[in-house]
Amino acid sequence: MEERPCAVLLKFPGTNCDEETARALEEVGFVTEVIPISALKATSLVGVSLVVLPGGFSYGDYVQSGRLAKLVTEQKIGDTLKEFRDNGGYLLGICNGFQILTQLGLLPEGSLVENASGRYQCHWVKLDKQCATSPFLTHLPDQFEFPIAHAEGRLVTATPEEAKAYRESGAAALTYTDEVNGSFEQIAGLQDESGRVFGLMPHPERFMNAADHYDPDWQSGVDGETSRGSGYYLFRSLFESVTSSN
Amino acid sequence: MSETKTESILDRIAEVPADHFRILKISDLGGDELLELSKFMKLSLSKEDMLAVQEIYKKWDREPTDVELEVIAQTWSEHCKHRIFGATIEHSVDGESETVKSLFKTYIYDVSNRIFDSKPGFVLSAFHDNAGFIKLDDEQAICLKAETHNHPSAIEPYAGANTGLGGVIRDILGAGKGAKPIGSLDVFCFGAPDTSLEEMKATDVIHPLGMMRGVVRGVRDYGNRMGIPTISGALQFDDSYIYNPLVFCGTAGVIPIKDIEKEVKPDQVIISVGGRTGRDGLKGATFSSAALDSTSHEEDQQAVQIGNPIEEKKAADFVLAARDKGLIEFVTDCGAGGYSSACGEMLETCGGTINLDNVKLKAEGLVSWEIFISESQERMVLAVKKESLPELQELADLYETEMTELGSSDGSGILKVTHHGKTVCELDCSNLHDAPIRELKAKWEKKTEAIEAPVLENPLEDLKSLLSDFAIVSREPIIREYDHEVQGNTVLKPLAGASGDAPQDASVVRISGSEKLMSMSVAVLPEWGKTDPYAMGAACVDECIRQLVASGSDPDRIAILDNFCVGNPENEDELGALVETVKAIAAAAEAYGAPFVSGKDSFYNYFETEDGPVSIPVTILISGMGIIDDEAHVTGASIRRDDSVLAIIGNTGAELGGSVFARQKGFTNAEVPQTNFEEAFACYRKYYEANKAGLILSAHDVSEGGLAVTLAEGAFSGKAGLEVDLSGIPMDDDAGKAAMLFGESPSRLVVEVAPENLEKLADLFEGLPFAALGRTTSEHSNLNIVWGKETLINEPVDQLKSLWKNGLAQYY
Repeated sequence: MEERPCAVLLKFPGTNCDEETARALEEVGFVTEVIPISALKATSLVGVSLVVLPGGFSYGDYVQSGRLAKLVTEQKIGDTLKEFRDNGGYLLGICNGFQILTQLGLLPEGSLVENASGRYQCHWVKLDKQCATSPFLTHLPDQFEFPIAHAEGRLVTATPEEAKAYRESGAAALTYTDEVNGSFEQIAGLQDESGRVFGLMPHPERFMNAADHYDPDWQSGVDGETSRGSGYYLFRSLFESVTSSN
Repeated sequence: MSETKTESILDRIAEVPADHFRILKISDLGGDELLELSKFMKLSLSKEDMLAVQEIYKKWDREPTDVELEVIAQTWSEHCKHRIFGATIEHSVDGESETVKSLFKTYIYDVSNRIFDSKPGFVLSAFHDNAGFIKLDDEQAICLKAETHNHPSAIEPYAGANTGLGGVIRDILGAGKGAKPIGSLDVFCFGAPDTSLEEMKATDVIHPLGMMRGVVRGVRDYGNRMGIPTISGALQFDDSYIYNPLVFCGTAGVIPIKDIEKEVKPDQVIISVGGRTGRDGLKGATFSSAALDSTSHEEDQQAVQIGNPIEEKKAADFVLAARDKGLIEFVTDCGAGGYSSACGEMLETCGGTINLDNVKLKAEGLVSWEIFISESQERMVLAVKKESLPELQELADLYETEMTELGSSDGSGILKVTHHGKTVCELDCSNLHDAPIRELKAKWEKKTEAIEAPVLENPLEDLKSLLSDFAIVSREPIIREYDHEVQGNTVLKPLAGASGDAPQDASVVRISGSEKLMSMSVAVLPEWGKTDPYAMGAACVDECIRQLVASGSDPDRIAILDNFCVGNPENEDELGALVETVKAIAAAAEAYGAPFVSGKDSFYNYFETEDGPVSIPVTILISGMGIIDDEAHVTGASIRRDDSVLAIIGNTGAELGGSVFARQKGFTNAEVPQTNFEEAFACYRKYYEANKAGLILSAHDVSEGGLAVTLAEGAFSGKAGLEVDLSGIPMDDDAGKAAMLFGESPSRLVVEVAPENLEKLADLFEGLPFAALGRTTSEHSNLNIVWGKETLINEPVDQLKSLWKNGLAQYY
């Protein structure tokens, strides 16, 4: 019997997208385990192919978002996540998870700060795939939609040139088609040099089915399939990348 | 007022309580002195109540402790006991007298019980738990609860709304052995955002704009952090809400049916989970049972707290995990009255002892009564088996929440509280449920008359000003600040359609582990109630149910909640309006077979301004939950394609009263439309059949702004232009063009149908008010409404939409 790859979801106090993200991962073929941070040990990741940091408000995000989660993670398991990546593991951070990955230094340098609108924003956005080879995006078309829901999703870098360089190098694997939150270069998602670490502000796990789209007549048309949402294809891409590299 | 008497009472209770509690000698006090005592201790108990307390203690042949008096005050408070809904009311309608013995029993409880009996197995729990449950499928049940947090929000909008939502979420966590919150609703009534400072007739009142922003952010920061989608809501604006804004928060939950029943048995351990106990939130229950005035803003600050949603999220994770492991025997939340209510409820039949020394405090120095009635947020109280404690402690450690043993149950039937080795409270709770029944007077006199149908001079301008009215404009700026898609189950979102920003009637969420979905909707029409509360009550139930049905719900499996807000119940006219509203919702519920499974009321929403007291109009929020059998039945309110046919279900009457149009034009006493329940429900059942058969593309209810606004809103999806002829639709003979365009006759739906299905649909509706009224087209993108050969409105949909979409945004 073929062994299904294992995905671990890290749950901090205030993480609140773990259930639906686990459901999405299961749907494409992963076995999942949600590990509250209090129970996390360096050995928790043995035999694990993918670590996911789901969305939410870790520790309330009253300090800069993701900051406390980073400190606690490092205190708990030190550099284990970096070693995990170096040993071929995949890491996905969604929304608050993206903020945490950025804080942990697992993604190109940058900060996710308050939206230019000064508001929490919950709506759907158009996205452009900027890196066709990203293992997270292979099955997605060049342009697609995901919902966003965040107050601090504006990616800023030390200089505007840095963000420009991310776009040119493909590190900015995902960008907003339109201006959304003031992100430099309209960056919506970043990957690291290995391509195995990916963080994005939008929520693919909320768009697993065509019916999740706001337009009742929406269809993806990918592979002639009508019932799947675009989020499915992100997780499907990831699953195939993980299984083919195992 | 007698100085000496007051002083003697004050002396008596000003003694420093050496033992953190004191025994109050009340047996020798007269009625006025008892009332002084009640006022000084902020017990919110009337003279009659205090005399009754005195009697009880005379019978027991002892004096009460301060803890006991506080417990009794909590138990008997309007907030907890609903004294007015239980009162005996002498009511007269247009001179005809009647006696109502308990509004609750007569019109809510008995009516609902008759419906339960007629639908065996549908309602699984109602009225006694923190929320009522209905059956979703063979495995799971759903529940819904709504609360108001008006007084705290008036004083501190952010924190008041914040803890309002936090509190109702805990109600769901404390329903059954712990239900999982899956969706929230929020309904606000404010003064208009453009109210000028000169119009505000009291000092220290927060301007409606600050009120709205604070309240929205309070709900946002709690709901979003808890990871519960805020999916449903409504906004109303009226000058009378400037001083008493209304903030309704509701949450729905899901639970395995096997976990609904709960019971405390002897020798179980009572534990508290979540936040610590402090001096914050003292007297919330009694404070909200009194009216506000300017000094409230200074004096009652300590009754309002700031929430900590992460604390609650951790407690929620703990409760749901413990439930799934079968470790919970009983659970309830700490809401109004704090531990005294929660422990009182848990131990009222079984009895047991709570040791206040065990309570984890935020600060030192709290005396006994403060600990016992503090309403510090984010606490849940559970009864568990002794042998489960180690496993529960592991879960508490895992989710990083604090768990404390408070005491145990013992089968004595007595609620005993100890502190520092002494008994500070010893009450037989069964003796406390008979608070004196209040006696009140109410009257209602007809306030409407038939008016001549107004002549429409410029229907397009009328439509534009309706679309810009605060009662109708898009709530988008608010909706976007709420995460309405967390949990990944929101199928029908509050804003949807091809453009993603068009209004919908109900919201629909999937339920994990079930093929069935849950729908949720709200209806609130305070303008109607100003002149015809009966019509308001009927129309609110009708609209709530209609919205659920429109979205694909089974009309025979809907449950509703009633949340009332009233000004001064001692005012006969205001109480009369309440009685009329209650009668109407009861009649509607019975006709539609939609039982009440929970409800709440909030009184004393009046304010002493410079110009005298200002009361809110009697306001009823009807919120409802429905069941959709199949995701394919979910139907939105936005036009989906061109070349489809539009049809209308339901009859249009001549009445304009209560409508936004009438309010704009100043017809304040026009007749308000009544609801024909039997005809309406027959239509809803037919619609359900048609929808299941796949005949309906979209459906939008006709509500505020009337048919013209409904058609415009449908077209906001941007999919097609609309061509509509009103001359052939079902209407009363005297319905003029104003009523046809802008009247708000209830029970109407506009449906979009493929041309080939029109005949089938018409056949289904044989004998009921139904007619095709137009089509959708790609030839233009206008809303084109004619009456035979006469064009009434012909305007690009874009132009209309921008008025509607930006109406609130500019103030937000």
